[in-house]
Amino acid sequence: MDFSLLLEPAILTEVLVQGLVRGAMYALMASGLSLIFGIMGVKNFSHGELFMLGTYAMFFVTVVLGWPWPLGIAFAALALFVFGMLLERTLIETLRRRAGRDWLLDAFILTIGMLVVMQNLALIIFGTERRGVTSLVDGVLVWGPVIVSYERLMVLAVASGVGLALWAFIRFSSLGKAIRAAAQDPDAAQTLGIDIRLVYTITFGIGAALAGLAGGLLISIYPAHPTVGFQPVIKSIACVILGGLGNVPGAIIAALLLGIIEAYSTFFMSAGWQNVVTAALVVIILIVRPSGLFSSSKVERA
Amino acid sequence: MKALEAASQLADVWQSRPARIIKIGLLIVLLIAVPPFLDNPYITRIFISAVMLGVMAAIYDLMIGYAGLINFGYAGFLAVGAYTSALGTFHYGVSPWIGLFTGGVATAFVGLLAGIISLRLRGLYVALLTFFVGEAIRFTISNLPDYTRGMLGLSVRPYPDILGIDFGRRDLIAYYYLLLVLASVIMGLMTWLVRSRYGLAFKAIREDQLATESLGLSATKYKLYNFTIASFLAGIMGAFYAHYLGILSPTPEEFGVYRTVEILTITYVGGRGTLWGSIFAGFLLVGFQEYFRGIGPWRLVIYGCLLIFVMLFARRGLSGLKKYVW
Amino acid sequence: MALEIRDIVAGYTREVPILDGVNLKAEDGRVTVILGPNGAGKSTLLKAIYGYLTPQRGEVLHDGRSIVGLKPNDMLRQGIAYLIQGHSVFPRMTVEENLELGGWIMRGDHQRMHTALDSVYARFPRLKEKRRLLAGILSGGEQRMLEVARLTMTGPRTILLDEPSVGLMPRLVDEVYREIIKLKQERYTILIVDQNVKKSISIADYVYALALGRNRYEGPKEDFEKRLDDIVREWI
Repeated sequence: MDFSLLLEPAILTEVLVQGLVRGAMYALMASGLSLIFGIMGVKNFSHGELFMLGTYAMFFVTVVLGWPWPLGIAFAALALFVFGMLLERTLIETLRRRAGRDWLLDAFILTIGMLVVMQNLALIIFGTERRGVTSLVDGVLVWGPVIVSYERLMVLAVASGVGLALWAFIRFSSLGKAIRAAAQDPDAAQTLGIDIRLVYTITFGIGAALAGLAGGLLISIYPAHPTVGFQPVIKSIACVILGGLGNVPGAIIAALLLGIIEAYSTFFMSAGWQNVVTAALVVIILIVRPSGLFSSSKVERA
Repeated sequence: MKALEAASQLADVWQSRPARIIKIGLLIVLLIAVPPFLDNPYITRIFISAVMLGVMAAIYDLMIGYAGLINFGYAGFLAVGAYTSALGTFHYGVSPWIGLFTGGVATAFVGLLAGIISLRLRGLYVALLTFFVGEAIRFTISNLPDYTRGMLGLSVRPYPDILGIDFGRRDLIAYYYLLLVLASVIMGLMTWLVRSRYGLAFKAIREDQLATESLGLSATKYKLYNFTIASFLAGIMGAFYAHYLGILSPTPEEFGVYRTVEILTITYVGGRGTLWGSIFAGFLLVGFQEYFRGIGPWRLVIYGCLLIFVMLFARRGLSGLKKYVW
Repeated sequence: MALEIRDIVAGYTREVPILDGVNLKAEDGRVTVILGPNGAGKSTLLKAIYGYLTPQRGEVLHDGRSIVGLKPNDMLRQGIAYLIQGHSVFPRMTVEENLELGGWIMRGDHQRMHTALDSVYARFPRLKEKRRLLAGILSGGEQRMLEVARLTMTGPRTILLDEPSVGLMPRLVDEVYREIIKLKQERYTILIVDQNVKKSISIADYVYALALGRNRYEGPKEDFEKRLDDIVREWI
């Protein structure tokens, strides 16, 4: 480990940019997970499998059909939106009705069951072959000492755009307000005529759509494969914890930080250790600040 | 009407105490006698897997079913027991018999630490934190190949003979009986524990933590007891399992999420809060897996569907059937 | 008749009905108060009216139409608003967002929403001043005011209030009752469940007393005031 390299501005910026791009990827994946957690309280462990379905949807549209990649991303998001709503209505809603008061821990186990089924069905249908594309956008940007591919910049741009759109939707649209209201006080929201069941279904659909969109967008980095969702879901969970459970902006900032930290740790340590770094970081945060890095409210203890 | 009466009388007899003792006795005889009688290494292996996973699932049940704690890094905890024991033998020549104990103690220590960190928080935090603890353990093992041999695999020495009995992996029957003894001790210990006042406290916390605390019990303290004891027992099972495997490597299938999911499915299918349900479910699911080995991934699809089905429609698992068959 | 309840039986499990044949009428533009000891089924009655519980038997009529079987989120469209027990503002949303959510069922109609906001702000100038603040940082009294204002956004005909004064300081209790009197003057039909016997009777037109899920007493306020001591003594 040579720390003097850190003083080299070219390397410093290079790693920083790589970290930002990586962070944007994590942010995209984590935002859907965080949204579902924040609004419904459900920790969806099958989020990575929704991501995986997004990669296959993308592959289908761009390679099998040969359509342009923006259509592929749109299709991945739309397909997962519908599929997510279907999952919520058939499985999660049923559990909420049947399990009563403490249904959230059970919901976590339920999503594990969903993970196992989706992953192995994908294995049966698609096999173990990796299906990806080398890049969606060609070319490299050279800017002084910094070299970044346009592909990565595109990822950064789309992720920022989607993040902004999500924020505006939740903040300003009337459906967004209903979603926030349902999260803060479901009983009161119901007396105002808000259909909580519908809000939950739509929320889960949006969360799934974000996972699918991430899968489609990142297909050149994570080619379609039945177990491709594992790394993304671990990183997403890490961001959601670091940012504060259910705090979407917090998760996005945490994702950017995590991306940068990982980029540096990959640069200075062998690649295998970045997973240990992530896990250790999460454990430390849970010890010293269980409400996450960016939460002002105290965590609910029970 | 007569027939109904007769049926209900029959049910009374079937569920009477002597009948119950006979049934339990019969099961014990089956457990002891079937493998040597068939003398088929394949069948013996299935029995070993079923009992081993069943006990691991019962330990899991001690946490989830009695205190509402989800240890989602359980396989990592098993890895601590397995590697502590195996590394002790490998590097320092510690007897594998002592390794059972050191494996348990090391895992209990990890459980205690993880418990101190997470148990004051809500249930989901426990699941998340233990998940990352488990993953950190697994990645650390795979990143230290000089010490643990990482993914190359660490070979584990078999148990040395006692009184001329060969517990080596070749003679599976002796190994199986050793497992039965260990399983009986662990299951007996846990049954005693959940019937003691500790068990009462665990169940009270699971039902209503606030109400329990208002009675003057420290919920955190009892959860910590529960978690540490369960980790100790898991470590012992992990150490024992290491010797069955022969070669250890920190793969996700062996010591990662997949193993945790396999075990927790057994627990949920057996029925939470029953301990013994896990043993039955262990036989059911291991048998099922073996029977359907030919259909490949479909097996896991059915496995996942089973877990979903239990969560949605059979929330007490096999124990919901108890009144009909037991 | 704004709201009429006929022989309603309801509970959380079939075996234990909390309400065991309650009859009640709330007349147009009047304040009807439901009293009773703890466990009499007062709050459960409101929940059964509002669709949180499906009655096993009996009829609930609003403006002569049966509303049994409708879900809670359908009720505001029927012209029934409900203030649930305890705090119910959305603390991490602004005052104005809270009010807009009060008009959720008319969200497509900007004109109507605007008019409703203006009329609420005219009635509660203090809310107008604070409309950009988060509801969670308002004082306890202001939060109640916001809840009451939010109830009236869609101009419902009937308002159900569940323990509107519970957990408030005495000074704020008076304030809340002043708001209810204003609602009464605006000709809303009001049904109140309250532990605060004296206060609630003071604004009542008609009083019901429940005990163990059945009607115990009913009559106009004046009768009730005369026999108040006797009736309350029975509860203890």
